Amino acid sequence: MDYVIQQTVNALSLGGIYAMLALGLAIVFSIVRLINFAHGEIMTVGGYGVFAATVFGLPIPLAVASGVFAAVFAAVAMERVAFRAMRGASVVSLLITSFAISEILKVLFQNGISARPKPIQLPAALSGSYEVGAITVGVIPTISIVTTLLALLGLTLFLRRTETGMAMRAAAEDFEMLRLLGVRADRVVAAAFALSGLLAGIAAVMWTAQRGSVDPLMGFFPVLKAFIATVLGGLGSLSGAILGGFFVGAVEVFSQAFLPDSLSPYRDAIVLSTVIAVLLVRPDGLVPAVKVDRS
Amino acid sequence: MASTALADLPRLRRAGAIGQTLVIVVALAAVSYALVFGLGRMGERIAVQMCVFVSAVVALGLFTGNSGIVSFGHSAFMALGAYTAGILSMPAMMQRTALAQLPDALKGWELSPWVALVPAAGIGLVAAGLSGLAIARLRGASATISTLGLLIIVHSVLIGAREITRGSQTFFGVPRVTTFEIALGAAVLFILAARLYRESRWGLMLRAVRDDEAAATALGINARAVKYGAWVLSGAMAAVAGALYGFMLGAFSPTTFYFGLMFSLVAMLIIGGMATVSGAVTGVVLVTLLQDGVRQLEGGGTVAGVELPAVFGLTTVALSAAILLVIWLRPDGLIGTREVRLPGHARLIALLLPRREQAPAAPMHAAKELTISRLTKHFAGLTAVDCADFQVPPGQVTGLIGPNGAGKSTVVNLITAQFLADEGSIRFGTDELRGRAAHAIAPLGLARTFQNLRLFGTLTVYENVLVAALAAGHAGRAASALALREIAALELSDAATTTAAALPYGARKRLEIARCLASGPSLILLDEPAAGMNPDETADLGERLKRLTAERGIGLLLIDHDLEFVNRLSSSIVVMNRGKVIASGTPEAIRQDPAVIEAYIGRGRARRVDDDAKTTDYAKEGAST
Repeated sequence: MDYVIQQTVNALSLGGIYAMLALGLAIVFSIVRLINFAHGEIMTVGGYGVFAATVFGLPIPLAVASGVFAAVFAAVAMERVAFRAMRGASVVSLLITSFAISEILKVLFQNGISARPKPIQLPAALSGSYEVGAITVGVIPTISIVTTLLALLGLTLFLRRTETGMAMRAAAEDFEMLRLLGVRADRVVAAAFALSGLLAGIAAVMWTAQRGSVDPLMGFFPVLKAFIATVLGGLGSLSGAILGGFFVGAVEVFSQAFLPDSLSPYRDAIVLSTVIAVLLVRPDGLVPAVKVDRS
Repeated sequence: MASTALADLPRLRRAGAIGQTLVIVVALAAVSYALVFGLGRMGERIAVQMCVFVSAVVALGLFTGNSGIVSFGHSAFMALGAYTAGILSMPAMMQRTALAQLPDALKGWELSPWVALVPAAGIGLVAAGLSGLAIARLRGASATISTLGLLIIVHSVLIGAREITRGSQTFFGVPRVTTFEIALGAAVLFILAARLYRESRWGLMLRAVRDDEAAATALGINARAVKYGAWVLSGAMAAVAGALYGFMLGAFSPTTFYFGLMFSLVAMLIIGGMATVSGAVTGVVLVTLLQDGVRQLEGGGTVAGVELPAVFGLTTVALSAAILLVIWLRPDGLIGTREVRLPGHARLIALLLPRREQAPAAPMHAAKELTISRLTKHFAGLTAVDCADFQVPPGQVTGLIGPNGAGKSTVVNLITAQFLADEGSIRFGTDELRGRAAHAIAPLGLARTFQNLRLFGTLTVYENVLVAALAAGHAGRAASALALREIAALELSDAATTTAAALPYGARKRLEIARCLASGPSLILLDEPAAGMNPDETADLGERLKRLTAERGIGLLLIDHDLEFVNRLSSSIVVMNRGKVIASGTPEAIRQDPAVIEAYIGRGRARRVDDDAKTTDYAKEGAST
């Protein structure tokens, strides 16, 4: 039973990271129809942001801020440099563009920083664990879960209560209409990228805290899972992305924890096959996106 | 174009396809031989790899090009093909050292490499058959991401199945038998197969689905089935290409077939242009040359006296930059959306092919009545259609009118199963339409047009009409004869080889009707045929419709809010308002009906209306509310 609870904590912690990444992808996709392959590199930049701060010996809060800021900056810069000129291009063109950018950034990290993982020193207090009754819970997974929940809550408030947030939700359903109403498209799109960068930055901080290092492919693999999560949730659906993220995280952690060792190399295959099985039953995802079809 | 010229169209089209295929095969062979003779052994190595990649990218293009869905999963099929063929053709001695723990069933086959291609294709078929169950259901971007899932699944299985694949270690001992001649021969065969598929009924139907899924479905095309077929065929071909790649390398690991290979394949396809086979081949040739050129620089060295550092990943950057440039400057790829051709060749080749004559005038169609009863549809709180009852008698023109928002188009969408009805029944003759899939409506003899034109933009006028005849189940020859007849009937002969997207508006309207007729309907649902046309054009269209349907005994359900237009053509009229049928009867009776007048011009302002001209004014007034 204790084991189950510990694994549940792990599942929530990993699922939360996937959920934040998937939500960032979904926000951008729902507005500009871009499946951002380079989202993983935004997360990696966040990781390097944390690394740079620790190299200079900055305290933890500043290191966290540095990581988040780096990711937001990377996301906004990417939109400005690469995607703004391509607004309105086909889904395939946008996808391939982001793919190429992702490849270029990975090569830049490898040559400009290092192909090897860079260790990040964290205070000993963070890597410890504490006891709740008979259960041992890690400090970092706990912080991770709490942060994820706060981030998702904050985002929900932002999307529901602020003008920009409402403009973004409207844009997700019908961007053309919103533009006709006189809302500045550039601002909404930039805000969407900034938000996705913010979420990726938080995810990067959590990820580096748990792994203790950052490398050029750090963001690539978690974002692959997040992609799957967005499709599972219903591509373009924000609540679906969060649900999908937690689902993928849970399947991954529980399959690792409860499957026999002989099957453990197949973990990714099992996770993804489960997702595809769900899609067979619900091809539009768990929470299908609302989208105005103007054809 | 005279009718004799029109009869030449099918053979010119086929001759064009043959000529285009010849051009691309000759060009590939020329580049390959130039590499072999120009650069010796290194040139041969490059040429072999180029030809193997042509096979792989052509296989990828068969699905991606015709369906418009980018696949990231094809390098997974290649991996499965390479490992399968490798294990089955490996010398037994080698197998004992390399794969000591191989299960007995796979041990010691020592197949000839060419025989081993068959099980390689088989495993591709099975893997694509299984994954296609999910992927063919998903739309565009979701399908693409799922193919990425497939890539990861196969990669992790290859690493996990250590007894069979040596896990992440190098898998070696595969006979290196892919020579230059074999690679080139395979590439040519793959090009031929892809071209045949592209021009086949399935290829044409898939391209129709790519351009407009709703319109294709309304013609009776099962979008999911044609996507699935292409996915399975293309997966099996990719597995064979992978086996050849394995026979070229001799030793490989799961990483050989992971993101790097996938990125190269997709880049080649996008750079050349994914919509055509010539684009796929062009992309492979150019990218291979680019990569091999840049690779010389990657290790560093001195160029023109300048010392260059070794840059890991330079080829990746070059490839990415090429992709960005192409997408920026030519989003459809270097070749674009039409195959490469040499002018003049088609006419020469066409002389060897038979002509097609137009099909004779259409016979009268079976008489089936459309009966709508208690039909109801709710949209989140709004009842768009509320217990509607009416009949459309066979072989006559029935008008369906009503102000905007009356539920007319919803009725059409319910009849054609675009939306699912909440209650009621829709009978066509003795068949109940409710509960049928959208693609199962057209085969019963029901065709429709769309309120805002839905044509297959990248197909020519002829192909737009041809695909409708093919979807109706006619064999190739009969289908092209039918298509020619409808093109002549709607005076589209001069534009027959123009792509639909390039037509002027009036011609597009006519094309949509020609396409409808080619599917051999006994009833056509016309959703606002007069929208966007001036009075002359509207009158002209009306005359044509009346003549064509009278000649053939086809019934029409004419939906419009132009009362005059509907009055002039219809023998009976149904009026809807706010989801309900408020009146039905002859045009004269409808014109006098107080409920209709009220619906159109509002309570209190209702006046007795006697002449058509005034009615038209009111209709416009009603339509603008």
